[in-house]
Amino acid sequence: MPFFRKKRLFIILIGIIILVVLIGFSLKGRDQLSTPEQFIKDTVGWAQSVVHTPVKFITDIFTNIDDLKDTYKENQILKEKLSQSKSLIYEVQEIKEANEELRKALDKTESIRDFNPIQATVMSRTPERWVEQVTINKGKQDGVRSNMAVITADGMVGKIQTVSQFSSTVQLLTGFDQFNRISATISREEGNDIFGLIEEYDKETNSLLFKIIEDSETDLKKGELVVSSGMGGVFPAGLTIGTVKEVVPDQYGLTRTALVEPAADMFEINNVIVVDRTLKENDKAESVQEDKE
Amino acid sequence: MRRLYLPLVLFFFVILEGVAIELLPASFVMSDLLIIPHWVFIFLLYIALFYDNDRTYFSVLYGAIFGLLIDIVYTGVLGVYMFAYAFTIYVMHGIRKLLHSNIYVTILLGIIGILFADFTIYLVYSVVGLTDMVLEDYMLYRLLPTIIANLLFLLVLYPITKNRLSKWQDEQITKTIN
Repeated sequence: MPFFRKKRLFIILIGIIILVVLIGFSLKGRDQLSTPEQFIKDTVGWAQSVVHTPVKFITDIFTNIDDLKDTYKENQILKEKLSQSKSLIYEVQEIKEANEELRKALDKTESIRDFNPIQATVMSRTPERWVEQVTINKGKQDGVRSNMAVITADGMVGKIQTVSQFSSTVQLLTGFDQFNRISATISREEGNDIFGLIEEYDKETNSLLFKIIEDSETDLKKGELVVSSGMGGVFPAGLTIGTVKEVVPDQYGLTRTALVEPAADMFEINNVIVVDRTLKENDKAESVQEDKE
Repeated sequence: MRRLYLPLVLFFFVILEGVAIELLPASFVMSDLLIIPHWVFIFLLYIALFYDNDRTYFSVLYGAIFGLLIDIVYTGVLGVYMFAYAFTIYVMHGIRKLLHSNIYVTILLGIIGILFADFTIYLVYSVVGLTDMVLEDYMLYRLLPTIIANLLFLLVLYPITKNRLSKWQDEQITKTIN
């Protein structure tokens, strides 16, 4: 019997050692997944896409019933908004044309605003709620690379964390920590833009923390739109991130932090667009560093 | 062929866990309560109770394999679920010898097992720095709802799996004798 006891203890100790080694391996900040991991992710991803379709169908029925209840009211509001936005569309079109002409005149064709969209569908969401991740059905073969921004029609939802051949993992904005920064801006007239960094997601207030770098004369107002500035070298400019909810001084009282409510719905994410920035950063190391700072 | 059933069912549960959140209503998910599906673990517990005999350790082996699978697919931090599941199932396998397996023992072991497994995960994650939840918050907002939700799943699964697994166990024994 003592022999068995020893053997049992031995196995548990080996188990703990394996645990520590594996955690150490996975936490050293790697960008690339190992080949077996990619293979398993793709296999499971394929099976997930098979299972996801019927589940989606059923959940859609319930959502549709909920939606039907609000249809009339929404329709009224939308009709009002539509008439307003029609004039806006013409204005935007004209401005776009003018912008293009001016760019041509300057011989400047590339812009940090340009990106190639890669359409993707969300297949699963991680059951471990401390890790905010979703899996999408596009991978390396479709041109997805790590650190690309992921948006929905409403705004930014996250960035690509790891890619395998046919699927990839998206880290949601709600899972951002101090290692994932987005350089962002609040657009103002006459060059009074406010620049800053989206630093992390605060779980207590359910909002992103937008640290303002420079001191600006005008105060931030509630409801102002925060967009990505493209200065980080990874994401293109002009992606909607969220709206300002509240402005608070930071813990040292020197700078101010805006609490930003994400524009996109972090719960119901179905179809996403992976944003492939057209303008490539020359110094790739620098861009990675900025993003992973 | 029969031998393939268990891994296939476990694999199916791994996949289902990924869409589990979508089945819950949105207001529930956005609230402070964190409910983690441990369906793979529940099924492993059934394997330990009704399929394994005293000398076979299929449940522990499957626990390590499918725990690792969950780590790879859903969290990216390898080893945590693998260790938590395999270790807990091993302990459950040990306790099983002392008790006669009926529905009350299953419920009891289910509660202890989920508590043990989820707490191990919490412990490792807070050491690693993936979560900074305070212990009291964790107990109230995550552990309790998780245990209740998974217990429901365990009860739903009981009538479907119990007899089937016992039957497979008998077949496994007769096969080894022949």
